[in-house]
Amino acid sequence: MTMNQTEQSTGLLAAVARGDAGAFEALYDRYSSMLYALLLRILGNAEDAQEVLQEAFVKVWTNARMFDAERGSEIAWLISITRSRGIDKLRSRKIRNERENDAGREVSIHVGFTDKTTGADHAIRSEEGTAVRGALAALPEAQRVALELAYFEGFSQSEIAERLGEPLGTIKTRMQLGMKKLRESLRAFQ
Amino acid sequence: MTTHEEFESLAALDAVGAATADEIATLRAHVDGCPSCAAAQAELAEAATLLARDLEPVQPPADVRSRVLAAVGQHVDEVALEDDDNVVRPFFNRWWWSAAAMLFLALWGWRELAVRAQREHIVTAEAEAKSLSEENARLQERNEKLSAEIASMAAAGTKTIALTGQTVAPSASARVFLEPEQRRAVVFFSDMPANAKDRSYQLWIIRADQPKPQSAGTFDVTQTGKASITVENLPVATEIKGLAVTLEPKGGVEQPTNTNFYVSGGV
Repeated sequence: MTMNQTEQSTGLLAAVARGDAGAFEALYDRYSSMLYALLLRILGNAEDAQEVLQEAFVKVWTNARMFDAERGSEIAWLISITRSRGIDKLRSRKIRNERENDAGREVSIHVGFTDKTTGADHAIRSEEGTAVRGALAALPEAQRVALELAYFEGFSQSEIAERLGEPLGTIKTRMQLGMKKLRESLRAFQ
Repeated sequence: MTTHEEFESLAALDAVGAATADEIATLRAHVDGCPSCAAAQAELAEAATLLARDLEPVQPPADVRSRVLAAVGQHVDEVALEDDDNVVRPFFNRWWWSAAAMLFLALWGWRELAVRAQREHIVTAEAEAKSLSEENARLQERNEKLSAEIASMAAAGTKTIALTGQTVAPSASARVFLEPEQRRAVVFFSDMPANAKDRSYQLWIIRADQPKPQSAGTFDVTQTGKASITVENLPVATEIKGLAVTLEPKGGVEQPTNTNFYVSGGV
């Protein structure tokens, strides 16, 4: 799947909005792997990730009519719904506390994210993955860490500042500069 | 007054879920009537998804697919049952089939309308609940912020520090209420020159233990010459050597681009 393909609307959501069950199945087959990976990253365990994936797709089915292609891509809408459900779950079950206590596991997740994949991994990565990786790799470490803490862990600005031991203003500036760079990268892809 | 660039900065935080309830409310009120900021917000939201799209896809177990399809009413058995019902029985005449078809269509239409109304009701109720929840969070946050500011100024251990105007703004001044115990400071600026739309003032902490200054946040000054900023999670007081303000590109920078201090002072 190339970046261009994902940016284009497949029209599947529009069909789902009309109650087309076949389109819904195609939508699931196309995006469930990406959304499941996102939920695993947020929630850290398969059982919760599967439960939330199901909830998210039910939400997609019931709310498909609210998708507006003028305001964003199909994939962004799906990611937004899934992430939002995942973060809600993370907060409601206080998984965060469990994860903080599980120091060994925390390290492995962190390494998995900062460590670049091997040559073999690169070969199986999709074209889009490679392009996106370039965008994220171009971010200074401090900016990427701040963005990931907000996006995947659901931490507020104050919590991130506290966690990283930096003033709130520094964190805000980092996140704003990081998002500015990601936005420029996105424009370059399109 | 908040500028378009500042709204874009808020939208950047909102895109990764890091904007406060107050910031979200401010942003939403603005983008409703500002197509360019609405477009920027959509673009930033799209850009934030790059974080998710960087992840290696993982195939969910096959039974999740079945559960999802079951949950949205995809019951293969029901379809098969309907097919069985369609077997033509010779003793039913055309009139019976017409009446049955009419009745079926009427019932189906009624059911569809009911389902649609129910869906819309759920969507509306969810939106209202979300809106109320956000408003509540925003008010609570504002209340906490005001309480924190008052507490900072009134705390027994609060130190008051004066920052004085420098060559570029000799009449400017600032008063810092530094609460070491809470590692928090509230800074009130006076007689500062209004900054241009493409620039922001940035407050810097000059630390005893680090060679480079550390950003404590950005702020804007209007024609009134006044502004205030709350700095949370400060370094411990003994590590703060001084504070200074420079004028920087909109949204702030990692390190100061110049040494033209507007106000500064030692701690």
